[in-house]
Amino acid sequence: MRPTIFLISLLLVALSTTTCINNKNRHPLRTLLTLAVVSGVEGDALKQAALDYESQTSTHIDVVEFPYANLFEKEFIDLKARTGAYDLIMLDDPWFPRFASEQFLTDFTPLLQKRGKSGPDPDFVETSLALCRHPYQTGPFYALPYVGNSQLFFYRKDLFEKYSLQQPATWNDVLAAAKTIHEKETAGADGAKIYGYVMRAAQGNAAVADFMPIFWAFGGEMFDASGKPTVNSPEGIAALEFMLELGKYSPPGYASFNADDVGAHLLQGTAAMSINWPAWISSFGNPSKSKVIGKMEFTTLPGAQKSGQAEIGNWLIAIPRDSLNAEAAMDFLLWATSAEQMKRSAERGNPPTRKSLFQNAELLAKYPAYPAQLRSLESSRPRPRTPHWTEIENAFGIFLSKANSGVLTPAEAMNQANAEIEKILQRAQ
Amino acid sequence: MLFIAPALAVLLSLSIYPLIYSVSISLQQATASGAWTLDNFTRLATDDFFLTAMAHTFVYAIAALTCEFLLGLGLALLLNKQIRGRGLFRASLLVPMMLPTVVVGVVWRLMLNPNFGAVNGTLKQLGLNTENLTWTASPRLAMLSVIAVDVWQWTPFVFLVLLAGLQAIPQEPYEAALIDGSSRWQTFLHVTLPLLKPSILIVLLLRTMDLLRVFDQIFILTEGGPGFATETISLYIYRTAFRFFDFGYAAAMSFVLLALTNVISAAYIRLLQGETQKGT
Repeated sequence: MRPTIFLISLLLVALSTTTCINNKNRHPLRTLLTLAVVSGVEGDALKQAALDYESQTSTHIDVVEFPYANLFEKEFIDLKARTGAYDLIMLDDPWFPRFASEQFLTDFTPLLQKRGKSGPDPDFVETSLALCRHPYQTGPFYALPYVGNSQLFFYRKDLFEKYSLQQPATWNDVLAAAKTIHEKETAGADGAKIYGYVMRAAQGNAAVADFMPIFWAFGGEMFDASGKPTVNSPEGIAALEFMLELGKYSPPGYASFNADDVGAHLLQGTAAMSINWPAWISSFGNPSKSKVIGKMEFTTLPGAQKSGQAEIGNWLIAIPRDSLNAEAAMDFLLWATSAEQMKRSAERGNPPTRKSLFQNAELLAKYPAYPAQLRSLESSRPRPRTPHWTEIENAFGIFLSKANSGVLTPAEAMNQANAEIEKILQRAQ
Repeated sequence: MLFIAPALAVLLSLSIYPLIYSVSISLQQATASGAWTLDNFTRLATDDFFLTAMAHTFVYAIAALTCEFLLGLGLALLLNKQIRGRGLFRASLLVPMMLPTVVVGVVWRLMLNPNFGAVNGTLKQLGLNTENLTWTASPRLAMLSVIAVDVWQWTPFVFLVLLAGLQAIPQEPYEAALIDGSSRWQTFLHVTLPLLKPSILIVLLLRTMDLLRVFDQIFILTEGGPGFATETISLYIYRTAFRFFDFGYAAAMSFVLLALTNVISAAYIRLLQGETQKGT
């Protein structure tokens, strides 16, 4: 009796395992693709595209959705383990160098050649396409750009008109305008307080993202030509000193601010300027969220010693090396990133990565900031293309946060950050 | 033997194998060669981030444990008497403990917002200047804030265990103390505390283990910032493993934390065993 029960248990376990393994074949007449997407507007558009594709073809697409904080680790662990669970993955562009250098992704060259193409459509914005190549700008394509985010400079045009201020072209213009607005708009009761500037300076990615455009404009570079870190150059230290100066006109506690805090200040009308991402633009016209309807203007990043450059933050789509359906995945990817489908994605709220769509009359009527977005995207810069960027960004962000919270002087923070980045690179060798 | 086989298989696959695997990766180089090395452990001594995170963990644990114990004991003594509305007090005190830690973190993050939060809003109503009360943005206040949130959430647990301990103390020793003319303070010191000691040790043991591995509420409230001021060892291990994918180093740090937790727990258990033997 006992061995019988044991055998039945074993059989059940074996049966359930087989069912799991054969999961991919549960639609025997249809190709099955599994797509990993990020939660939120970027992933929602791709999810909807997957449903549309299913209705038009014999391909069934399983969509697996993860929050931004978990997507990287889920994808990395799966790709490292070579399970082949995903046929397509959405990835934030700073993750790309790590994924590509670990050889996790499929080279698109043969797949494109098979379809008579020498490369992706030239309609894609060059800066977006460059992110998809490994090595950066020159190597073969391992992804295609899907969401064309790059930072923009947000400012209150009503306040600029009120105080006869020009649209800021340089960071010194920004500081002067912040000072004027801060002094003139902070005298009233609490409700009327408007801070000149608001920024993200929370430890990690937030502080680094808001600092990089200032750092680049002041002439700072993360690495020299030989790959040695140079964040503590005089230009780098001057940029951090400037950030702290700007912090004097930011709301109290900005050293712990993340995107939601900055968004709240802008939407509530309690801050006049900020660097932010295009995803926030639609919120300013929403009466249930915004107290500044029709008062915000969007432009490219200001310059200083060098012309202003935004940080690019595109969402890419790639095919994992161990996908069992690379051909079908490529068909879907080319379809989803075609001009027609990307227009639908744009209508759902995602900035496109195709030049023609930024100039499309229908989309322009809906998104008047598109010309500024295209200028920003075309002149944008990526975060340094190193596979160790996550660790470097974390360390750099800690020291930027230490300076913004008054623990270290700008010079001390940059010297210590430089030493820490050097250690990270040495360990990686 | 046949019937324990499935349980044994589960134990082997879910506990023993991961443990052996994590020991092996902590002793291997992260490179493709995977050569055996003690590098991950020697690196700990020179890693300022690790040493600082470890120091923060102990500061956090000691401060939170002290506050939770004193408050929990005070509340337990107070509510161990027949007072009106005791049931309501007890029930409402337990609410924070029943909330998921992530929810607690999000709620407190909103409440501690220096500009729009309820805490500064209330203080402003009371006429206080809140300009410098940037709870999660000032390195000193940030540590204080995360400790306060832990105390708010977990004092009820300490209270609950100590109240159960108090209610298990028989009446006879108190009657004897009363006949001997002992004062309230003397009764508390020489009757209540010694008889409550096993409960105290159990609750301190459980809270110490929890506090040393704190993660959720700090991750939500401050993400370890500003400038590493509230980074505890669990946060640093998480980042090392799941952001930088240096599993070997993360495993080495985890073993050090495990060893320290074991040493502290063993000390508590030894004290507890001593108490039990005295009692028998």
